[in-house]
Amino acid sequence: MTHRQLQLVLLSGVVIALAILPRVITDVYMLNVLVLTLMYAALSQSWNILGGYCGQISLGHALYFGVGAYATSVFYASFGITPWLGALAGGVISMLLALGLGYPCFRLKGHYFSIATIVIAEIGLLLVHNWDAVGGALGIQWPIGPDSWVTLQFARDKAPYVYLALGLFVITWLVTYWIEDSRWGFWWRAVKDNPEAAESLGVEVFRSKMAAAALSAFFTALGGGFYAAFVSYIDPESVMTFRFSLLFALPAVLGGIGTLWGPLVGAAVLIPLTEITRSYMGGSGNGLDLIIYGALIMIISLAKPEGILSLFHRNAKPDARP
Amino acid sequence: MIISRRAALIGAATTGVLPVSKLLAQGTQEVVIGAIYPMSGSNAQVGVDARHALETAAEIINTANAIDLPTAKAAGLPGLGGAKVRLVFADHQADPQKGRAEAERLITQDKVCSIVGAFHSSVSNTVSVACERYAVPYMCADSSSPSLHRRNLKFFFRPAAHDETFSKGMFDFLDAQRAAGKKIETLALFYEDTIFGTDSSNTQRKLAQERGYKVTADIKYRANSPSLTAEVQQLKTANADVLLPSSYTTDAILLVKTMGELGYKPKNIVAQAAGFSEKAVFDAVGDKLDGLISRASFSLDMAAKRPSISYVNDKFKARAGRDLNDNTSRQFMALLILADAINRAKSLEGEKIRAALAATNIPGSETIMPWAKVHFGPDGQNPDADPVLIQYLGGKWVTVAPKDVAVAVAKWPMNP
Amino acid sequence: MTLQAFLQVLASGLLMGLLYALIAVGLSLIFGLMDVVNFAHGEFLMVAMYATFGLWLATSLDPVVLMPAVTALMFVLGALAYFGVVRFAMRARTNVGMVQIFATFGLAVLIQGLAQFFFSPDYRSIPKSWLGGKTLDIAGVFLPLPQVFGGLISLLAFAGLYLLMDRTDFGKALEATREDQGAVALVGIDRNRVFALGWGLGVALVGLAGVVLAIFYYIHPHVGGPFALIAYVVVALGGFGSVFGALAAGLIVGVIEALAATVLPPAMKSIAVYLLYLGVVFVRPSGLFGRL
Repeated sequence: MTHRQLQLVLLSGVVIALAILPRVITDVYMLNVLVLTLMYAALSQSWNILGGYCGQISLGHALYFGVGAYATSVFYASFGITPWLGALAGGVISMLLALGLGYPCFRLKGHYFSIATIVIAEIGLLLVHNWDAVGGALGIQWPIGPDSWVTLQFARDKAPYVYLALGLFVITWLVTYWIEDSRWGFWWRAVKDNPEAAESLGVEVFRSKMAAAALSAFFTALGGGFYAAFVSYIDPESVMTFRFSLLFALPAVLGGIGTLWGPLVGAAVLIPLTEITRSYMGGSGNGLDLIIYGALIMIISLAKPEGILSLFHRNAKPDARP
Repeated sequence: MIISRRAALIGAATTGVLPVSKLLAQGTQEVVIGAIYPMSGSNAQVGVDARHALETAAEIINTANAIDLPTAKAAGLPGLGGAKVRLVFADHQADPQKGRAEAERLITQDKVCSIVGAFHSSVSNTVSVACERYAVPYMCADSSSPSLHRRNLKFFFRPAAHDETFSKGMFDFLDAQRAAGKKIETLALFYEDTIFGTDSSNTQRKLAQERGYKVTADIKYRANSPSLTAEVQQLKTANADVLLPSSYTTDAILLVKTMGELGYKPKNIVAQAAGFSEKAVFDAVGDKLDGLISRASFSLDMAAKRPSISYVNDKFKARAGRDLNDNTSRQFMALLILADAINRAKSLEGEKIRAALAATNIPGSETIMPWAKVHFGPDGQNPDADPVLIQYLGGKWVTVAPKDVAVAVAKWPMNP
Repeated sequence: MTLQAFLQVLASGLLMGLLYALIAVGLSLIFGLMDVVNFAHGEFLMVAMYATFGLWLATSLDPVVLMPAVTALMFVLGALAYFGVVRFAMRARTNVGMVQIFATFGLAVLIQGLAQFFFSPDYRSIPKSWLGGKTLDIAGVFLPLPQVFGGLISLLAFAGLYLLMDRTDFGKALEATREDQGAVALVGIDRNRVFALGWGLGVALVGLAGVVLAIFYYIHPHVGGPFALIAYVVVALGGFGSVFGALAAGLIVGVIEALAATVLPPAMKSIAVYLLYLGVVFVRPSGLFGRL
């Protein structure tokens, strides 16, 4: 069995295990944590396409997340269009947006690029905040209806959301898997390692970046659509703030940036940690949960700069593939 | 921990079956109520104060107090054989998703029989829906968005006023001032870009038009801006007869400081409470706010008529180191109203508590609030929770409107 | 808008801009020295404000008098942050930039938690001080004394920084380290010492801004966020690593922000600043005065 086949077997195992989990865990809160973990794994996997493989550190993916969430909510709440289509529409809009923004932004390098992505996402946040047609600060409330796979509304049952988030993760994983071995993947790694050298070798640097951005934005928006259906209420502050942009990058960085499994591993550590420190320590209001959460992020990122994954294979460097 | 949770489980599972006396004999009965507030992040101070207010309320419910408030006289809830109230607090960090997750956790893990919350209207939105789905009553203590009670929820209850009622109270006062011969022609709206600011300003704009006031400045600003200089300059240029700010603590401090720095003394300020009821604001800029009028759900000087107010305030002050204000009084009262319903329901079942809440009928005199009465419409809103207007004079709050509860005549204008 | 109102907005924008520049220059200095983006910068500002408040409570001395003490404290804190956190982050063999971002982000959350733990989440302020609440009236244009003082401190700090970089051995060491991190070891400069001094200096500068802000602003554990975002934009607009760029960009951002609030709906005034940044870097990809 080749290394790549092994990865697929591993994925099957993980998927089966995670699919069984909602049958074993019945606690609603724990399932909620599982949904969030899988969702952030998928979103971080999407971020990883642009940030990890292509090396363009975006800290503004909240924009695409927000576009996905808003497109889905507006289509459903105003026109009754199923969130399945709404999320796809959000994905396409985000993709076009990413291409439009990428055109000027990909001339920028390093921190200038990262700050530009932050600033563009902030502009998006402010525009939505002041755009009354999509609810402005009031946000959008999803109509309360019966449980249904068409509207993606489930009153008490969290298992459907686990499957949806798992599905989204598997899709983003498979796309990443396919990329790793494709011509695009080769180009992107070349762009990440040394754009000048890549250029001289005939890699189309600019087109590579655009393709990565479009793909990354598309799946981030799908995640936003999922989140809107999951929470059934969105407002600008709860889907478009900078905090989300960080949360998409963080799992990949903690798990192993530019790796196939990094985002899932990172999310599996980070999200339960975030949720559980808040839930079981946050009620006191003395800030202890923040102290522990902050210290752990710091310690993990300092102790394992190559990501938690590097614990498992000693010589693996994230970009070690030829 | 494990034992007590199991005990609570047994307690909850058996309430429907066993008579109250049997339960008492087991000695395990307690009434667990969830409280969801921002305990970290920019509004953590509100959450920490809410904790003090709710714990004060729990203390009054759980001990015998000789005051005329619901559930105060007996120790514990007599309807449940003297059962004590225990509060479980959770932190929502101003995030609707986290608020909902905490609500679900409190309902399914801690087996709370009802939930109080949540300050942010966005969080009250998702928490109340979660409560609806689990048939657990949600007591909306202090979120004031009018949209909240218009969603046909069966388990949503709000004893206090919402932003439309609040703004109406403010305009009734302006009308009365105008009728008394004071010159009020122009208004300046100044509000943050949040749900609170939007709801507040929308109502104020509408009322201004209906009642014939001219809005000469309509300024929406970004909450927690580093600087409000240009915004205040516009207020100064407009120099309206009344400035109506809807701002929280941080921006309220910055607004007043910036007005001082730019040499702008507004003729009158009538504030939509929020920051203008917080001690921090008056600690920082109180000297510039003499004569400020704010709408309020609560007024300490009503203690002359109702001894319970100073009794409660003393207990709260011992915990929090400050007087009750617009938010903390509402939180305190919400828990008492809820406990009263649970007491009458003689049960911890959501449906029964809900029915008891719907049948609530508490006269205003048995509250610490200026309300006429506590009862709930089919939408869960108390229609008789009219606010009062209070004025900050010489470092103290004085009730100046409406007439039947006013203890003084308003100083008008604030800055001649 | 009358001319007077325009001048008022302009003057306020310039004063605020000087403060933005002072907050940003420490970030720029640290970046220029070792290519680290410090995500805890806003939290250092917050700590300086609390330090001022705490010392004021304890000694009832005026914040102006406390300035040297707070700045010294912040210098030590900066050096400690380098030795305790950043030094390890720089050891990373791969994706150094991201590790630094998230190590300092973790540090930021930690500091916020500590602030809430020790000071409670109450909003604090210093109600009475020599400068607080006083204002200069020049022909109807009001210049609040705390901001004027802040502007002077900012200008002095920039002048001092210029002399330091240009005239002293330490400045030369900084410059050398910045130019070629490998070579400095050969000429006998202790890299760690230079970096620690750089961090100390960078954080001490934001400490100065913290003292000024404490005089006229509210203080709470999350106060740093909005200032930090502006500082990042200022640093990038001026050009990472450029001290003069930070000053120029700070002033520009302050003025644009103030003027924008009179033209755009005030809630959207920051959009003008963001668009300005994008416009500049699309034409000059390394900011106004940066080198690539």
